[in-house]
Amino acid sequence: MTVVLASIWGVWAPYLPSFLRGLVITMEITGLGLAVAIVLGAILAGFKLSRFRTLRLIATVYVDIVRSIPVLVLLFLAYYGLGQLGFTLSGIASATTALGAYYAALLCEIFRGGVQGVEKGQKEAADALGLGRVSGFARVILPQAVLRVLPPSTNQLSNIIKDSSLVVTIGVADLMARSYQASASTFRPMDMFVLAGIIYMALYLVIARAIERWELNVQRRRG
Amino acid sequence: MSAIALYTGEMLDGAVITLELTAGATVVSLVAGAAGAVGRLYGPKALKTFVMAYVETIRGLPAILQLFILYFGLTQFGIDISAYWAAFVWLCLYGTGYAIEIFRAGLQGIPEGQHEATAALGLTRFEAMRRVIIPQAWVAMLPALTNFVVLELKNTTLLYFIGVQDIMFHARLGVSNSGQPLVVYGIAAGIYVVMNGTISRVGGLLEKRAAIAR
Repeated sequence: MTVVLASIWGVWAPYLPSFLRGLVITMEITGLGLAVAIVLGAILAGFKLSRFRTLRLIATVYVDIVRSIPVLVLLFLAYYGLGQLGFTLSGIASATTALGAYYAALLCEIFRGGVQGVEKGQKEAADALGLGRVSGFARVILPQAVLRVLPPSTNQLSNIIKDSSLVVTIGVADLMARSYQASASTFRPMDMFVLAGIIYMALYLVIARAIERWELNVQRRRG
Repeated sequence: MSAIALYTGEMLDGAVITLELTAGATVVSLVAGAAGAVGRLYGPKALKTFVMAYVETIRGLPAILQLFILYFGLTQFGIDISAYWAAFVWLCLYGTGYAIEIFRAGLQGIPEGQHEATAALGLTRFEAMRRVIIPQAWVAMLPALTNFVVLELKNTTLLYFIGVQDIMFHARLGVSNSGQPLVVYGIAAGIYVVMNGTISRVGGLLEKRAAIAR
């Protein structure tokens, strides 16, 4: 066992620094994609809950279409397709656009469900207290909705981490791409992919733990 | 323009491969997933632990990494699988991991009282499953199962990377020969929207029928 571990460590050690630099890029893409998805998803959810039919229609069409396009196709549309229109995006910018566009559609539904899940009586209570439309929403409905959307949104975050690995197809040097290159140059693909897998799992576990703690904190503060 | 028409035809040929792999892997995954869920819920402790570890691994690792482990990784041990079979096996392994979770959640979602009622009626465990538990779980699982098929179909887009001649494979050829990425990938997106839209529509109909039947 020790011999095996020592020998596999000998294979991994030279590549570890490169893999960790790849991990930084993976986290960068994940963070940027998540930020775009949250902002766009919140706007779309606002559209869906709006009084205006046109806005609701726009959001519905967007969500239904984008949700059924595979992320890889969105990535190619952003990376190669937009270039044809004169908007040449870098690999990381394309990934941010594709992941942001796709996960906005999923988060929109989660956010809408979160707001609609808050009991009707809460809105009536806010009205009764004389809070206006805006402050009633911001101070009564939204804080309760946030609590509801945290667990399903966390799930989507872990999906974004995994989907960020698709950038290997457009030449961005993320964790996945570096393990692919290393597997070709060492002729030890299994060893390299296993190392990448361990790092992905570790990232996922650390983030899931951190969010779980944060959720508990939020819940405790709210009582 | 004719080049675009030509590659649209090729992409539709690719769609047959895409659908074939999706359908085959879905059937295998659902059968294996049901068995896995039963093992996870009612099996001996060692089996439970194994199934849990399997599900976590499949759900924790990026899809493309899993595919590469099967197709490139195994060559390190002298195991060389054709692209098509590596693709199929991966879709089945991946699908099984997700299907286990769907069946587990569906079975666990049935209230304890239902199990007690079947015991009170003197039904055997098998009869109870077949006539009481599964019919109820089935209704609850339908939306997740529809999403499952869509997920498997989306997963097939990764297969072009190892040389499977699916929609994406032909789309990429079309792009390099026509120089029109926006149009060609746009058409590919359209094909996926139609296929996934149809799957969701069928799922929706099944849900409606199940709701009426109850």
